[in-house]
Order: sequence, then structure tokens, then C-alpha cells
Amino acid sequence: MIYQLSVPAAVPGVEEIRILEWHGDVGSTFAPGDLIVELETHKAVVEVRAGQAGILREIRAEPGDWCAVGQRLALFSDSADKPLPDGDAAATDILVDFEVT
Amino acid sequence: MTHIDPVGALRAMLMIRAFEDALARRKEHGFQLLSSGEEAVAVGLVSALGTGDQLLTGGRSIGPALARGVAPERVMAELLGKSGGMNQGRAGRGHMSDPQAGFFGAHAVVGGNISIAAGVAMARQLDGDGGIVAILFGDGACGAGALHETLNMAAQWKLPILFVCNNNQLSVSTARDAALAVANLSDLGATFGMWARTVDGLDVQGVAAAAHDAVRHVRDGLGPAFLECTSIRLRSHSTTARETRSRAELAELQTHCPIRRHAAALQADGTLDDAQLEQMRQDAATDIAHAMAYAEASPYPTAQEALRHVV
Amino acid sequence: MLYEQKPAMARMFFREAVTRAVREEMTLDPHVLILGQDVGAFGGSYREFDGLYKIFGPDRIRDTPVAEAATIGIAAGAAAAGYRPLVSITYMDFLMLGFDALINYAAKLRYKTAGGLSAPMVVKTTAGAQGQGVAHSQCIEAWLMSVPGLRVVAPSTPADAYGLMKTALRCDGPVVYIDHKRLFPTPGDTPVTETLVPFGKACIRRDGSDVTVVSHGYMMRVALDAAQIVAQDGISCDVIDLRSLAPLDIDTVAGSVERTGRLLTLEEGQVVCGVGTEVAIQTFERTGPKPWTRIGALPAPVSSNPVLEAACIPDAPRVADAIRALLAR
Repeated sequence: MIYQLSVPAAVPGVEEIRILEWHGDVGSTFAPGDLIVELETHKAVVEVRAGQAGILREIRAEPGDWCAVGQRLALFSDSADKPLPDGDAAATDILVDFEVT
Repeated sequence: MTHIDPVGALRAMLMIRAFEDALARRKEHGFQLLSSGEEAVAVGLVSALGTGDQLLTGGRSIGPALARGVAPERVMAELLGKSGGMNQGRAGRGHMSDPQAGFFGAHAVVGGNISIAAGVAMARQLDGDGGIVAILFGDGACGAGALHETLNMAAQWKLPILFVCNNNQLSVSTARDAALAVANLSDLGATFGMWARTVDGLDVQGVAAAAHDAVRHVRDGLGPAFLECTSIRLRSHSTTARETRSRAELAELQTHCPIRRHAAALQADGTLDDAQLEQMRQDAATDIAHAMAYAEASPYPTAQEALRHVV
Repeated sequence: MLYEQKPAMARMFFREAVTRAVREEMTLDPHVLILGQDVGAFGGSYREFDGLYKIFGPDRIRDTPVAEAATIGIAAGAAAAGYRPLVSITYMDFLMLGFDALINYAAKLRYKTAGGLSAPMVVKTTAGAQGQGVAHSQCIEAWLMSVPGLRVVAPSTPADAYGLMKTALRCDGPVVYIDHKRLFPTPGDTPVTETLVPFGKACIRRDGSDVTVVSHGYMMRVALDAAQIVAQDGISCDVIDLRSLAPLDIDTVAGSVERTGRLLTLEEGQVVCGVGTEVAIQTFERTGPKPWTRIGALPAPVSSNPVLEAACIPDAPRVADAIRALLAR
């Protein structure tokens, strides 16, 4: 199964965030609780952690990129060889936890 | 050890008194806050300041400005609203300034100039030029929040500032004891860990000695100091305010006049004889007559000046 | 044929635009200082001074106790004595505590010294409602506009936050620079090269022909949203961002009103003696009377209660209704 990670609406009023840092590369495996990516808002850093296991397959936004809330940031899958869909084909949202600091 | 030239101190005090008397005698003298009875505070304090230092005051500014050396004719012209004043007649008694003379200026909101003075002191500290700032205010300002905020920050930042309270014991009509809960006003400085002292503000040599001690402390980078000088006010709060004290009380106060006291001491120790003292009084009157003549001859600003230097 | 070259832009948060302006000016001029609560290592309540303390150190960036009166006074004194302090006052409501030094001293210093002294200082503060209640929500810029000697600016974009702050730090008199809390979350493009935004120059954010809408600060977003709503009814709004409230750019507003024939003024503060009233009167002195509607907060304190706060503050649907009503007049 293919999952997508989108920019969460983590902070009220925030419509756009900036990618601070990815904590893994394409091919990295994430267990529940692992830090995936840090996002920057005007005043906080949002730590996005895996809420389920998954393999990072594709990164769509690099550190420093600006992304709107809801915009797709990455694709994950259960198995490393699952073919990725073309373009922006719909995908299930990956479960995440996020912490605002 | 003397910290002040006794004859020079008398000359300065006589000049201030003559100046204010001449001003008060002028029919149209405007709204003025005179400092008769408080000359020893201004003269004693200024004796401790150097040319690189700055003095700021509240609204009772005439004596301190003259003591600091601002030209009397320019002060008189300023007080009368004439173009020949150091601020072209637009600041007046409440707001006049002459930074070149070391008089950074008055600000007539009671307590209002204290934080300003601390800012000037911060600039001196950042410049590292060894200059210090003295801020003179009345007992009336000791109830103002801005003083307490500033004392704290000045102490915290070790600003080169000397707080001098000229405690003339009256805030318009309200007695100091009825307004302020602290035992000594210098306790306000002590609370913040400052060098703090209360002295007799009617004794010009005593004020000078304490001011020199305080200035040395501040100049040595040991942080601010707070000097309270207990004085008297021989006139009403302002030239437009009602006198609240009886004739008898005022007459009694005259016996404590700091000028009389200092003159008597100089006569007693043989420094001055009657003739010399009288000559000094006449010299002061003559100088002030010249200052008044300059001010009278100076024109008022034109009405067009009202919009100049606004922004 | 000449092509206007578009300046290269960098996207950044509001706070970063402020930081950049202050960093550049502190680098250029060693007399620029920062004073305020939590401005040092903490980097400012809104992170608007992030990283500056490391560069410029404790002499030039000073954390102050909770003492707005003395802080503004000390800044005014340091300004009079040759420095260019920026004072951070976390909420505009607290600016009232420092009015004596700002209004009675700094704004009058040049005048009372006949040009001998001035107080080049910037009081940076934050206006607007965001759930923080009656004494943390006010927009009192109109009070300040009536003070001779005081300049007042209120950016609505990061680019203007950057450009106005730079101009403010070079200004030879006191400036009140007003951010709005609700603008902070939104980034914007700012010029990559050093750019100053002059005072007294408004900006037309949307061209239109039926009605002139004038606002500033966060209400600019409400104005633009309202313009978008009424565009669906075929109403075309000329939307002007004042940017600078003192001095006011009446030329731009009057020019627009000459074209559209109608004026709507929008602000988050009170309409009585408000920014809009002043803009309208000065405009009509040029254009003659025109149909005009003013919108602002209800004549009530702004509660932290979300229902009451929302009821008090103008929003886009209400502004859109007012625009339609103005056109129907």
C-alpha cells in the first residue's frame, strides 16, 4: 500500500510552512514514533513522527521549500518494491503524530 | 578638604537669586518655577561635574542651568520666549536645554526626565568616554513610577548616573511627609544597592563634598548613586500658584536661607568683609541687569516659526 | 524596448523580514540598539530578533525588566544622546505605560530644541486581537497619528515589514512601528537586494474602478478578501494599503477616490476619531464630499471570548456587505 505525508494543520492560523530537515532518505524505514521531518512555522518547529511503520519512497519538498498546509511532502509504502503511482494520484494519508515546540 | 571655591560658590548663588528676583519683578514673567532657597543644591552639585558630564533636571530648572554655566542672558531670553534664548524661546523654563554647556535639558513632567537621563547615561556608558550624567528632581518625583523603574534599571546596568533629589519638602501644597512613606528619600537608592546619602541641602560646602563623593563613585564605574539634599522653597510652587504657607512661616524660612548662611560663614571666618559682600551683590545685580536687557532687546519669534522643527 | 526587471525575491516569515532589516541596520550603524523584554538570547516574543544577540551581544541588545515607562525613556535619552534604539513593546496596549517619554519627550524634542536635538528611535509593537483579551488586543494607532513629531507605520506584508523597518531605523525622529499578530503566520516575498520602503507612500494592492477601499495592517487581508467576494457580484475595488499612517499619503487615496467616486475605510481600531475618519476628511478636502462608509471594531472592549472577539472585529463578509450597500447608495 502507498501512503502520502502531507503538511499537517498543526498550528492555528498557519497556512504555509517551511521544510527544516528530513530525518531519513529515500529507502529509510520508519517505525512508529520515529521522527520523519521537521517543519518550521513562524514561531514553532513541528516535529512529524511516524504513527505507523513505513518505508520512505519519495521526497517531494527539500529543506527550505515553502509548502501549503495539505500539500504532499512524501510517499511511503509498506514494502520496498511496491511500485509508486504516477503523478499526484490519490493515496491514503500515513498516520502521524506531531509535536509543536 | 574643600571641594568648592567658597567665594565662587557664593557668587554663583547670588547670581541665581538675583536672576530669579529680576525675573519675578518683571511684570510679564510668564509661568516660572523658581528655586530660591535651593541654590546651594544646584551650585554644590555642579561643582562636582566636569565638562564632559551632562546635567538634566525637572521643571525647576533655572538655578541648575545657571549653576551649570548656561549664559544668563540666553536663559533669560529663553524664559521670556525670545529668539535669543538657547532654544530660540520655544522651550521655556520647563524644557530648555544647552548640551554644549553640559545642560542636557529640563523636562517639566514630574519624574519624566529621570529615565531620559538614564538613557543619556547609557549613551555615555556605550561611548566609554568617562562622562557621567546627573539628574536633579524634586521630592514630588519620588512618588512617580518612572523613578522606581529607572532606579532599578540603572542599578542593574551600572549606568554612570547620579540621582539627586532636591527635597524642598513640598510638592505644590503637599508636604513630603504626607506624600512619601520612606524615612529618607535616599533610602530609595539604597534599596537598589546604590551609594546613597542624605545631606543638608542648605549647606553648599556639604552638598559639594557629598556630590564629589558620589561623582567619584559613579565615575569609577561602581554604578549609580543617590544623593538627597534637604532644602527649602522660599517662594510658592510657581509664579502662578498660591502660597500655602503663612507670612510667619515664610519669615522663619528666610532665616535658613542658604545664601545668608554661606555669606555669614565667609564673613565669620574673615574671608569676606561687609564691603566685599555688598560688592558681590551689586555685581550679581549688574550682570543680571545686562542679561535682562539682552532678553528685552531680543525679538519674539515670528508666528511662522510655529511649524518649524516639528518633524 | 525597455523591460522592467523584476527584482529577485526571497520568501520569508514576517519575523524574518524584521530580523533581516534590524540585522542589516545594526551591521551598518553601530549606534542601532535593541531594548525590550526577552529581546536577548530568547530572540524576542515573536522570534523577531532571532540570532541577533549572538552577533551583536549584550551591550547592543539589552533585555529589560517589565518597565515600559523607563525602557522607552531610556531609549529616548540614548536617542537624544546619539544612539538609534529600537524598543520592543510586546503589546501595543502596554505602549500607554511609556507615553510620557514617547509623546511628551521624544516627539517634541526636535521642536523644543529648535532642531538642536532629536530622538531617532523606533518603538516596535504589536497590535490586534488574537484571543488575548481586553488589554492585549487594541489598535490605538489613531491616537498616535495626532501627535506632532511622531511617525507611525504599519506593514501588512513581510516586504513592507522589512522596508519600513529599515526606513524607521534611519529616521531622525521617533517612529512607532506596528506589527499585527495575525499577520505573523503568513510568509511573503521580500526583495533579495537591500530595499527601503519610504514613509508617506501608500500602495495599491488591487486595481479597481467602483469603490476605493483603504486599510492597513491585518485588515488589508480582510479588505482583499472582501474585494474578492464582491468581485463575484461584478464590483471592482481599488484596494489601498496605507502602510504609513503618519505621514499619510492622501495623494494616492484622493487620486483613487477621484476615479471611483466612493470610499470605504476599514480598520481594526475604533472608528471614532479613527484612521478612516482622518483619511476620509483629508481626502474629501481634496475631492469634495463623496459617499463614504467607515468600518472598525464595535464600540466595545475586545474580549478574549472567541464569540465576542469575532463579533467585535470586522471580517470579510461584513466588509463585503458594506461595499455592496455603499454601491447601492
